[in-house]
Amino acid sequence: MPIHEQSLIRPENLVRQDKLTIDGVDVSGDWSTFIETRVVTDYNEAMQDEIAALPGGEYIHRCWQCGSCTNSCTVNAINPDFNPRYWIYLIRLGMEEELLRDKDIIWQCVSCNKCTYACPRDVVPEGVMKATAHWLELKGHTRPSTATVFDEVFSDQVFATGRIEEGRLMRGFFARTGQSLTQEWLVGMIRGLVSRLPVGLLMRLGLAAVLHPRTGGWGRTRQAIADYVAEQDASRRTALHLPPAPEARR
Amino acid sequence: MTDKYRKVAYYPGCALEGTGHAYNRSTKEVGKALGLELVELKNWNCCGAMEVKNIDPKLQTFLSARNLKIAEDMGFETVMAPCNGCYHNLKKAEHDLAHDPASQQVVDRLSAKAGQTAYQPGHVTTIHALDWIRDAIGTEGLRARVRNSLRGLKIANYYGCMYTRPRHIFPEKDKGPGSESTSKPHFMDDLLEAAGAENVEYPLKTACCGGAHTLSDSDTSTRLVLNLLTTAEACGADVIATECPTCHSGLEMHQARAEKVFGKKTQVKILYFTQLIGMALGLSARRVGVHENFSDSRELLRARGLG
Repeated sequence: MPIHEQSLIRPENLVRQDKLTIDGVDVSGDWSTFIETRVVTDYNEAMQDEIAALPGGEYIHRCWQCGSCTNSCTVNAINPDFNPRYWIYLIRLGMEEELLRDKDIIWQCVSCNKCTYACPRDVVPEGVMKATAHWLELKGHTRPSTATVFDEVFSDQVFATGRIEEGRLMRGFFARTGQSLTQEWLVGMIRGLVSRLPVGLLMRLGLAAVLHPRTGGWGRTRQAIADYVAEQDASRRTALHLPPAPEARR
Repeated sequence: MTDKYRKVAYYPGCALEGTGHAYNRSTKEVGKALGLELVELKNWNCCGAMEVKNIDPKLQTFLSARNLKIAEDMGFETVMAPCNGCYHNLKKAEHDLAHDPASQQVVDRLSAKAGQTAYQPGHVTTIHALDWIRDAIGTEGLRARVRNSLRGLKIANYYGCMYTRPRHIFPEKDKGPGSESTSKPHFMDDLLEAAGAENVEYPLKTACCGGAHTLSDSDTSTRLVLNLLTTAEACGADVIATECPTCHSGLEMHQARAEKVFGKKTQVKILYFTQLIGMALGLSARRVGVHENFSDSRELLRARGLG
């Protein structure tokens, strides 16, 4: 298996000098490439504890950097910059600035759980990726990702009615992310399907979109969930040293 | 083989009432054809899918446990969920409640507030539609009932992520011969082989289709799905058999999207394993909802005498 390494020596930290004399000795051509001195002074010592306080991040302290997570990672195979082992390393050291270089891709974890399957230390790297993505959002380093918006639209519907009706879910998601529902590939696919479906079934599906399936007797459950979500949101903000939310999220 | 699966509680889940309609229909039809009774859970709710856990994992446990409690109250020891997501979440709830007191505490607290009795672990076993057919009828039992063999149909069996990972929530798997394997699952292969199909050696059985981000990160999903499709074709498959509505509609959607957006056309057809087994049992393609799939495989099936 390949070891996916991540070098801390980036091109911008390499300095090439064509003419160089050191202590009166001309070393041009022999010793032309130097690594810039790099001093890290801005450790965020709270970062690991804060991420560990979010759901999924609990076991980050167990990691011993074997790299099984990155080796097995679905997303790493299509984007080598997606490197869970490296991010866990940075978080544990408190190297926030380094982590922020990758802030816009961490949310792309597809939750396939190959890392969790491979991890010999039960770190649950999948959970750590989710916790880290949430940490970045709660701390204001990134805007809520489209995945977070989808999670929220989806969960709000489940909390409100007990069930998901896919048409409503898609309309809600596309509206909140400012995308058109009439994307060419989607329209083409649905047109093909509609031409094959019997009228009765089409009417049933149409009715479901109007009537919204819901779970009977959901009222008290809905309230219990809403209270719990508010309580958890508040306790996470406290753990992250954030002021109380200006208004409830939902 | 066991008699206890002759009549089980049935948890279709949200997807099977929407895009996975054909899976719902074909599962019920196969049950009828095999003389197995399914009793739908009354007033079931969403298991939390792949989204609620990102809001709060224990809330997902509560939602899933509520369904297990309904099964218990209806007098069932077994609930069958054909959707990998539902199956996975019910299994995970069972595991978490048995091993994590904090999860049980949240379920107890929320149930009390909602005016329900909380589910306690150990009362209901969750099985997949694959376990259901395999253990109630057996591969030999299925072979004996085949009226329209799938002979000549080359199938890549695709199980996805949620059926086998993470390993610890499936204590019955990886128990040697006769049990399901989490690294190389074979229950669907076994059933389709009994139905006469020729299974191809497919190395991506448990690879990911990107279903969690199918809409929120479409390009990643399309790339992952395209890899699944082209690999299946390279392995010689006519059909990819699925056992999860999210994988299934992900494969269909991103097959269409790969063609429109990436300009990459693939021919392989996508069918639920229950549709294939239904047709092998002599049901018509229409009866098992082949016309409800986005991936139009009617021509291929007619050519193989399965239409």
